[in-house]
Amino acid sequence: MHVNKLLILGIGNEILTDDSIGIRIINDIKNQLKSIKADFKTACTGGLEILEIICNYKNVIIVDAIKTVDGIPGQVYLLTPEFFKETSNISSFHDVSFLEAFELGKMLEMDVPKNIHIIAIEIIEDLIFSNSLSPVIENKYNEILDEVINIISTLI
Amino acid sequence: MKQITIDPITRLEGHGKIEIFCNDDGEVENVYFQVPELRGFETFCVGRPVEELSQIVTKICGVCPGCHHMASGKAADAVYGVKPTPTAKKLRELFYMAHFVHSHIAHFYALAAPDFVVGPTASPAERNILGVIGKVGKEVGTEVIKQRRIAQEIQALLGGHQTHVVMNLPGGVRKGLKEDERKDIVEKAKGFIEFSKFSLQIFNDVVLKNNEYVDLILNGPYSLKIHSMGLVDENNKVNFYDGKVRVVDTEGKELYKYAPNEYMEYVAERVEPWSYLKFPYLKKIGWKGFVDGQDSGVYQATPLSRLNAADGMATPLAQEEYEKMYKTLGGKPVHATLAMHWARLVELLYASERCLELAQDKEITSKDLRAPLTNIPKEGVGIVEAQRGTLTHHYWTDEKGIVTKVNIIVGTTNNNAAICMSLKKAAQGIIKKGVEVTEGVLNMVEMAFRAYDPCFSCATHSLPGKMPLIVNFRNSQGDIIRTLKRDSN
Repeated sequence: MHVNKLLILGIGNEILTDDSIGIRIINDIKNQLKSIKADFKTACTGGLEILEIICNYKNVIIVDAIKTVDGIPGQVYLLTPEFFKETSNISSFHDVSFLEAFELGKMLEMDVPKNIHIIAIEIIEDLIFSNSLSPVIENKYNEILDEVINIISTLI
Repeated sequence: MKQITIDPITRLEGHGKIEIFCNDDGEVENVYFQVPELRGFETFCVGRPVEELSQIVTKICGVCPGCHHMASGKAADAVYGVKPTPTAKKLRELFYMAHFVHSHIAHFYALAAPDFVVGPTASPAERNILGVIGKVGKEVGTEVIKQRRIAQEIQALLGGHQTHVVMNLPGGVRKGLKEDERKDIVEKAKGFIEFSKFSLQIFNDVVLKNNEYVDLILNGPYSLKIHSMGLVDENNKVNFYDGKVRVVDTEGKELYKYAPNEYMEYVAERVEPWSYLKFPYLKKIGWKGFVDGQDSGVYQATPLSRLNAADGMATPLAQEEYEKMYKTLGGKPVHATLAMHWARLVELLYASERCLELAQDKEITSKDLRAPLTNIPKEGVGIVEAQRGTLTHHYWTDEKGIVTKVNIIVGTTNNNAAICMSLKKAAQGIIKKGVEVTEGVLNMVEMAFRAYDPCFSCATHSLPGKMPLIVNFRNSQGDIIRTLKRDSN
């Protein structure tokens, strides 16, 4: 078990325009939420990789990008495994989906988290390489960040 | 924040799908497989120092970052006209063997084994890694996770990070290996070898002892008679990190063997209006269309083609398995697409043995980590074998080493034409008049391209979970008569 029982994990690709938002948010909030007893980590791919990262934590909050049908850019969603939806990076095409990884962890009696929440941010562009957010998401970034912090505050 | 019902879309939707065109009799006439392409990576690289690229390319995707790092590092060596020190070369190769071990383990147990251990037409709810572990036992599952993690730890030790690798510099590597670390890797590599042998035993017991599966591999609609490409060493043995690219024809006869910087004389890329991905082909033969056979320019660069293109494996146990595979499947070359799974396990054993060889080499702890740079940078090509095929990085720079142009041919892209043709052949062989197109039938078609271990992440970034398939069936008029959609979750 880790010293901190809470992991706040941002996932995404930091050079793929809006796909980087989970990484950027973690890098920003780890300074703003210093008082929280949590580990702040980033990762770039899901599946089995993410299973190894989240094991031995009691609570995990994942921040990732998502694209939905008719989604409003910048909208923030709170998802739980019961109402699970695939976000952009939580699963791996090369090995297993997030839910399979999680079930595998339980099956193999690994110390999987008791509580997992996924904060997903509606994005626009994830097909163009750029280390900047798209203008619309960039303009809304501070609002998005505040909302993510508010959600985290309600979860801990 | 709103809690609402949402419907995630993937990068495949809108672009990526399989289009199956049927004739008036309901039989398959043509199949197109389309994937989206990420844009602007080459532009993203231009204007940066060439030595930065090996770190940037690891962020193209999270699936085979080590491959891009190695190809990029070799291209940067070539740009500076510098040869890495022997120790640096060995450290790079050691890292790379660990990368192959973790990737091939993941593919076999998560993506290949479900079709054979659980069954190709089993319910999707069972046809996954959980179903595999359910059949072979929790101890095996624990070992899969353990060996994969150990391989990742070796990469992190040597590369600075298991995914965002910072190992290579032009002419060498940043960090050396300590004696206690070397000894530790020796023990871990022995574990890889035992696990590789165990995995081959599973393949033997589950697949080779099942006549239906052997028949499916040899006589099913999964055969494609095309040329084979792979990197070989000076003895024409399989090599993942270094050597020349060898191409053998459909009969196994050597067509070409060329150095990385000659690749443009041998490989050209074709654009089709219906796909976002290019279609590489053998330039000297030319593009003859999506046809197989000796006169076709289509080739494949896969684990199976690597074994076809080589004269053998450079390590003893892998060589034994290599010989067993070809003896069982009727000699070289093998054109059975599903045999790629067996070839991948032979490669897993080779990577494990090579890992041990390198870790037992005392020179690997030398502090001679980097050769001096004395030449003016200009242009360079780096080629390695990625798990999914031959990976080429080609860089041009100005005299200060600032990148002016980049060309990358990723492993899976080599196989774009072959994947399309394999899909068509499988669809034509499986979807007949009167056959109900069920999830199981869809999976049997999907097996044709899953064997390639396709990773469109270099082109499509990470895709969620299992390939979220969208299959459109069209009648002879081109109208959609049925759509099958399978979400990733």
